[in-house]
Amino acid sequence: MPRVFNWQINREMEYPYPASPPERQFAAVFDINKCIACQTCTLACKQAWTSGRGQEHMFWNNVETKPYGSYPLAWDVRLLEMLGPQTWEGDTYTGKTIFEAAPPGQVALGFLPEDVDWAHPGLGEDEVYGVVEGGAYFGIPHQVWFFYLQRICNHCTYPACLAACPRKAIYKRKEDGIVLIDQTRCRGYRECERACPYKKIFYNGVTRISEKCIACFPRVEQGLQPFCTVNCIGRIRINGWIHTPDKADPENPVDFLVHIRKVALPLYPQFGLQVNIYYIPPIHVPTKFLRQMFGPRVDKAIETYRKAPEDPELKGVLMLMGATERWVDKFRVQGDYVYGYDERGNELVRVPLKEPIYLRPVYDRQFTVYRHNIT
Amino acid sequence: MKGLSRRDFLKLALAAGGAGSAALLARNLAFLEEIQTIENPLASYPNRDWEKAYRDLFKFDSKFAFLCAPNDTHNCLLLAVVKNGVVTRIEPSYGYGKATDIYGNSASHRWEPRACQKGLSLTRRIYGDRRIKGPMVRKGFLDWARAGYPRDPDTGLPPAQYFRRGQDEWLRLSWDEAYRLIAQTIVNIAATYSGPEGQERLRRQGYDELMVQATGGAGTQVLKFRGGMPFLGATRVFGMYRFANMLALLDAYIRKVSPEQALGARGWDNYSWHTDLPPGHPMVTGQQTVDFDLFTAENARLITLWGMNWISTKMPDGHWLTEARLHGARVIVIACEYQSTASKADEVVIIRPGTDTALALGLARVIIDENRFDPDFIKAFTDLPLLVRMDTLQLLRASDIIPGYRNAPLTNFVKVLAPGESPDPGIAQGSQYVPQSLREEWGDFVVWDLASGSPRVVTRDQVGTYFQEAGIDPALRGTFSVRTTDGRTVQVRPVFDLVVEYLQNFDPATVSEITWAPVEAIYSLARQIAANRGTTLIVHGMGPNHFFNADLKDRALFLVAALTGNIGKFSGSPVSYAGNYRGALFNGLVSYILEDPFNVQTDPGGPVRTRSYYRAESAHYFNYGDRPLRVGNKLFTGKTHIPTPTKFMWFCNSNSILGNIKWTYDVLVNTLPRVEAVVVNDWWWTLSCEYADVVLAVDSWAEFKHPDMAGSVTNPFVQVFPRTPLPRVFDTVGDIDTLAGVAKALAELTGDRRFQDYWKFVYDNQVDVYLQRILDNSNALRGFRFADLEEKAKQGIPALLMTRTYPKVMGWEQTNESRPWYTKTGRLEFYREEPEFIEYGENLPVYREPVDATFYEPNVTVGRSHPALRPTPPEAYGLRRDDLSTETRQVRNVLKPWPEVKASPHPRRREGYTHLFITPKYRHGAHTTPTDVDLVAVYFGPFGDPYRRDKRKPFVNEGYVDINPLDAKELGIEDGDYVWVDADPDDRPFRGARPDDPNFKIARLMCRARYYSGIPRGVLRMWFNMYQASHGTVEGQATRPDGLAKNPRTGYQALFRFGGHQSATRAWLRPTLLTDSLVRKDYFGQTIGKGFAADIHCAVGAPKESFVRLVKAEDGGPGGQGLWRPAALGFRPTYENQGMKTYLEGGFITVK
Repeated sequence: MPRVFNWQINREMEYPYPASPPERQFAAVFDINKCIACQTCTLACKQAWTSGRGQEHMFWNNVETKPYGSYPLAWDVRLLEMLGPQTWEGDTYTGKTIFEAAPPGQVALGFLPEDVDWAHPGLGEDEVYGVVEGGAYFGIPHQVWFFYLQRICNHCTYPACLAACPRKAIYKRKEDGIVLIDQTRCRGYRECERACPYKKIFYNGVTRISEKCIACFPRVEQGLQPFCTVNCIGRIRINGWIHTPDKADPENPVDFLVHIRKVALPLYPQFGLQVNIYYIPPIHVPTKFLRQMFGPRVDKAIETYRKAPEDPELKGVLMLMGATERWVDKFRVQGDYVYGYDERGNELVRVPLKEPIYLRPVYDRQFTVYRHNIT
Repeated sequence: MKGLSRRDFLKLALAAGGAGSAALLARNLAFLEEIQTIENPLASYPNRDWEKAYRDLFKFDSKFAFLCAPNDTHNCLLLAVVKNGVVTRIEPSYGYGKATDIYGNSASHRWEPRACQKGLSLTRRIYGDRRIKGPMVRKGFLDWARAGYPRDPDTGLPPAQYFRRGQDEWLRLSWDEAYRLIAQTIVNIAATYSGPEGQERLRRQGYDELMVQATGGAGTQVLKFRGGMPFLGATRVFGMYRFANMLALLDAYIRKVSPEQALGARGWDNYSWHTDLPPGHPMVTGQQTVDFDLFTAENARLITLWGMNWISTKMPDGHWLTEARLHGARVIVIACEYQSTASKADEVVIIRPGTDTALALGLARVIIDENRFDPDFIKAFTDLPLLVRMDTLQLLRASDIIPGYRNAPLTNFVKVLAPGESPDPGIAQGSQYVPQSLREEWGDFVVWDLASGSPRVVTRDQVGTYFQEAGIDPALRGTFSVRTTDGRTVQVRPVFDLVVEYLQNFDPATVSEITWAPVEAIYSLARQIAANRGTTLIVHGMGPNHFFNADLKDRALFLVAALTGNIGKFSGSPVSYAGNYRGALFNGLVSYILEDPFNVQTDPGGPVRTRSYYRAESAHYFNYGDRPLRVGNKLFTGKTHIPTPTKFMWFCNSNSILGNIKWTYDVLVNTLPRVEAVVVNDWWWTLSCEYADVVLAVDSWAEFKHPDMAGSVTNPFVQVFPRTPLPRVFDTVGDIDTLAGVAKALAELTGDRRFQDYWKFVYDNQVDVYLQRILDNSNALRGFRFADLEEKAKQGIPALLMTRTYPKVMGWEQTNESRPWYTKTGRLEFYREEPEFIEYGENLPVYREPVDATFYEPNVTVGRSHPALRPTPPEAYGLRRDDLSTETRQVRNVLKPWPEVKASPHPRRREGYTHLFITPKYRHGAHTTPTDVDLVAVYFGPFGDPYRRDKRKPFVNEGYVDINPLDAKELGIEDGDYVWVDADPDDRPFRGARPDDPNFKIARLMCRARYYSGIPRGVLRMWFNMYQASHGTVEGQATRPDGLAKNPRTGYQALFRFGGHQSATRAWLRPTLLTDSLVRKDYFGQTIGKGFAADIHCAVGAPKESFVRLVKAEDGGPGGQGLWRPAALGFRPTYENQGMKTYLEGGFITVK
């Protein structure tokens, strides 16, 4: 079995194929602190890609409330239970990845959800850990809490779906690292669905083959961010071409958040897939729960994020989220503005860190009109 | 296929269709494929031609912009993406960063993107099966009309057999037939109820005498029109009021009266109808509401949110709140559950619903006790230093103590109008306008000057710097003596002193008992707000506003804001958020709504003559049973508020006035039968349509062929609805076409051409003429050319409203430029000397328990006896003191100290009613739009299932009530069970309901129970947004093979098996809102008046509160047995299996 290096768990691990990094890797950062669970991302994806027959239950992008929400039902609880308690020592994951824990004859530890497990996408919406009492009064960390987790396919560096497919019908594009299921070669065996720890493979009961998030590659090919990103009115998402830590570019917004400020973390890194969607963890949630989901760096990430008011660069890239549909290759904060640039250095957008205030004259002589706030 | 390789054949096959069919076809032909060798799918993949399928799916032919504007306050320009002539998806316009005004100011791209999941779902609504496909008429109504409108010879009532609303068939009409039918009906009804004979008929039908007299003998006055939230459509929605104005022509025709004597129809209110008006704001400030554009959040240091669920109800502006925290702002959520916004808070405090007023008074107490308030601000800007006479409880007047006193001339941003003098037109209004008679009533006021030890006169002009210049040091505390001009000695005390005495009832320990908030929270909140003087936003939302005593909540929160100088600043202001109401920003609407129908301007460039013929009234009287508030021996509705009987209703852009009305089933069973015609404009079949008589099919926003315009109270944009290139999908017309069409039919019926002239520019397809008039005559819009605005809108770019500031903050000019407020004193007022307030014991800002949603004595005023509080007791109204029934409660004035109140329970508690029931609004609906679209519905809470495996489910999702698990267990209710929710059986779900009444079956609320640990014990929450059950949906569930709660005839789709959230609510009328004496600015412009003003001073209702019990109805599990699946599997709260328990504690990972 080949061995590959996974920087998210800070060690080598077993994987059925030798490493072959793409030329560029599609990635994104989602700031959980800004998510409002409006599901606009969910509908944006659905109306574009999964509004056909057999796709009724599919939400390639979904937003679930943690801890009681999950789509499909208990996708993470069940896998964590199968994997059992595991450990990190410092930055290194000393437990088993799903590949290392695979039962004999299988590529990865996993389970196939029942079709009805996909039934209730809104399960757990806004439900809290703990029980609220009248007169509850608390600051951060909250005594009762929930947060929103926005999920798409992670376009993993070491995808379990790709590894599990008996027909090798799943591949990773060389030019951008996007993982796709060849819709002409899939036979609907659903081994990918069983293996994917994030359950982002969806079986279509009408066509009898499986589908998944395509990273909106037709948009990416035109220099545009995916539908879920550009429809995010919470302004929580930004896409970028992520590098490995040693090649991190501080002007690259995703590299900056993941490798420089280290506020953006992978989801369940312990599964071992070296995911490419990163999360800024919620500052109000006790870190004991968050470490299970984001690894041991979560405390430091929250500490750094909370200093954003005094960190113009961090604040700037967070304000840049949502400002443009175009793919932002580089950013810069200068004075009161943050600027986004394409790979050739052309300015795509500039936004003020604070929206300006305007005072209009009380009387406009040209138009002979008084301007009032109360009219 | 000669000469075609296998690969080329497959390519051709792929090109034949989209992703789905391509995959099927390719699979069937798979045997033709070469067998490929793939070494490492990470490294390479041989044939990627199939990717074209997704590229093809992405390709589109064109995009066009349209304005999505349901009643959410945002109004988003969206792009419809068209392929083969069909809108296949919708996108945000990314045009907001390009919005400008005429001065070169521009919004930034911080505003992008703007859209929401509901807007994106519109493709399914534009083409959906509940789309209204053409004009429809209820068969019974058509029969009545064709029979010549037969009526009882004595009472004039139509025979009941024609009025089986909700249980009738529907027929399709042509547009001409529909217009003619409506016009004939209007003429018939107006004629029937015109003149003394008409009024006599109304009397015999049992209407209140004052309501009959209020018609003035004009039958047009029983016709009611409502443009739902008209700020959402300057011409097509406000057009309903223009139509009401026009009907003066009909009155002149019927009664043969002159234009001077003619009366138009009646127009119903909106902001106050929705209970969104914070009724205390006009009491404190004299104008509608203090609000600000939400993007000012990042200017504040402290943001306190009182029952305002920002991230769920202000979604496109949610990022301003979260980004404010990135600038270092601190967010505190004060709410009765841990709702979505609580997850964005630095601090959370959970309080008892409806007690915000008590908490605010508690904060004021701490701020004053600890001397943390801003004395200069309150002395200069509030009535707190003004002296009150302890004998009359009136403010002391200069004329009381200075012989021969003449009221001072007023010049600070005000013009006193001589009798007969009119105010300047809107754009030329550089000041407030007060009729001289009103100014004389006000007089001038007095403070006690500590420097000279004597009373000193303070005029309305003397606010802000003008007061500071006067060199007076007014006392805030103390009792003083003055000699009145009639020789007596009278004790006087500053308002502040009286308030402080009342606040003795609100020490932190007592406030903690009342509100549940811990004592330390009360101190901490008070100190934090005081420490952030001028940099605190005090944001109160729809939650507390939809309780009966909302005005007291406003007065108390304003007190906190005033004490801490948090008024009128970009960084510090109170604000109420509910609704989108500020039509005043388009004050040029006067030229449109009030155009004189007897003198129509048909020249597009000519001057418009205006005359007000229609009368506004509160729709709450209709809600209440089409009667005023008479309880015991007293009429509590002020003369200026009296409604007329409702015999005809026509509304557009709204489901709230019927389908989602408070006390829905009482209205349907008890009140609607007396209305003779209900006409509804809509593009989607709602519950309002279910119970209508004529339904007019109008364009969706994506199909507009006339332009229109909308604005917002939460953002700074003026937004045009651009005309769209999408051909109409069905036989629809614009809302404004329906008005013009019926007017034309009226012209034909009466022979009066002026009905038609009034809508000339609609027939000429030049609605922009009306819009340009509105622009030209509006303070915030003049300078814009409509053609430019529409051109920009077509690119998805709005414009900036030209208010004085960006962001707009109401009160900025008052605080920063010392303009007076719109009150009689010119100051923020906490004291109400009006006789009604003194009578009800509310001349001071007091705290009353909620009128229904309380464990204690409903609507009791909390406090010990106080020399300035002299409430008129129930006995004086001929009521028993121990009568706590729902009707009586509304007018019951009893003052009790808290220790007695807490020992005095809600009367229904003895009978097993246990819970407070609140119905806030949520992210999945803007009111009821579009919660029944499947893609939106399926995410609305936990019970969604696209395949509806449990056939009891009314739709792909259903209504549910949130209950604390500990309460549920005590009641024997499991997560996922069906339950009945019953409010006071005296009047809910409707008056006269009996279990054997078939209407009771439709109306009694049944829904799922969801275990919700985020809500405290004793409180239940249900969302306000879902479509309720109708006769047809109950029938559908029983008779349709699919078992959907869907009317087999109309297709109307409910999300409840039975009843709805409004089964538990009712109409409530609060006396302090029904006065003839409150001073307030008119709706449009700077003129000040008093008494009734729609959307400013009138009834508001109380939709969020009731007191209920829960009764288990059915098991939640499949086939009605056992637990529903997620609970049975151990993933739900209190049912957790071992894995779930470990997961919740983060136990699957250890970090060494």
